[in-house]
Amino acid sequence: MSHRPHHPFDPDDDLFLEELRALAPEGDPVPERVLAAARGTFTWRTIDAELAELAYDSAVDAERLLAVRSADTIRLLTFETSELTIELEVAAEGDHRRILGQLAPAAVGTIELRHVGGLLQLQTDELGRFTADDVEPGPVSLRWRGDQPGAAVTTEWVTI
Amino acid sequence: MSGLRSNRRDAHAVSRLVVAARDGDETAWNELVDEFGSLVWSIARAHRLGSSDAADVSQTTWLRLAEHLTRIREPERVGGWLAATARHECLRLLRRSQRELPLGNDLPEPTGPGVPTPAARLLRDERAAAIWDAFARLPDRCQSLLRVLMADNPPSYEEVSESLDTPIGSIGPTRARCLERLRGLAARVGISEADHDSGEEEI
Repeated sequence: MSHRPHHPFDPDDDLFLEELRALAPEGDPVPERVLAAARGTFTWRTIDAELAELAYDSAVDAERLLAVRSADTIRLLTFETSELTIELEVAAEGDHRRILGQLAPAAVGTIELRHVGGLLQLQTDELGRFTADDVEPGPVSLRWRGDQPGAAVTTEWVTI
Repeated sequence: MSGLRSNRRDAHAVSRLVVAARDGDETAWNELVDEFGSLVWSIARAHRLGSSDAADVSQTTWLRLAEHLTRIREPERVGGWLAATARHECLRLLRRSQRELPLGNDLPEPTGPGVPTPAARLLRDERAAAIWDAFARLPDRCQSLLRVLMADNPPSYEEVSESLDTPIGSIGPTRARCLERLRGLAARVGISEADHDSGEEEI
């Protein structure tokens, strides 16, 4: 196979890759708004809270059959610390998400839903349940502050 | 071990940035984004996500790092941590939506048809078009690997390994094979285009 005279592709892998990299910005640079959003995440960090890790995600962990059946409608997420469990049921409704959640053990209070658009304050009832309608898709995290100072819990961020 | 040329800060400098960011230094955080932002984006693209999903993956990955700053045990390996986190988030998103878009599905055309451009620019666009056309014909595995390798601030093999869940030892040989295929395909694209637009070639 012969190359066009002005189309010699560099036989050196490093140099060829260098050219690909140089050409890539023509088609697919990381958008500045994405970088700006990444920089902006710094203000969301919490330094005083215990982290509730994502222990279960039906999108990943459910058995295949179940996942196929329910993948596009309801997603179940469980976040855990050693003392608190937060369960979420996320329903996709058009281009919005509806969230039903429950704290265990149950507690009445305010739970914050943090998302890129801002902050929602949600009330929990005597069964620890809370709801949020009309949440924009994207990363979310919940923050629960119990009745004692210093007992705040935040969940890992997850894209809904 | 690595055949990659790297403009990357050394591990020590990266580690210092992580520690500074952990202690509240926003400038250090911004430098981490400069350093690894393109890698995170490229991982989402390597998983064939469209730009809106890729933006979500990027955002979630950085939010997770912000949340984990005080818990990172090996700050010098934060690039690998980001890569693994971004990959997991991509898989989560893909399994949820079961979407599979061809890589570059929503990329802009490399050239605007009918827009007059200087000759040098035209050659460059032609070349870019030939390469991307060839790129789209590569096997998925090659597209993913090359997309990650093309990130600004070339990633280390460890980061590539975390990005794609590939053994470090296979990256070098796969890279060589994929680039060779790309050269062959791109040269062929160039030749077939030359057949029907040769009238403009000599300008």
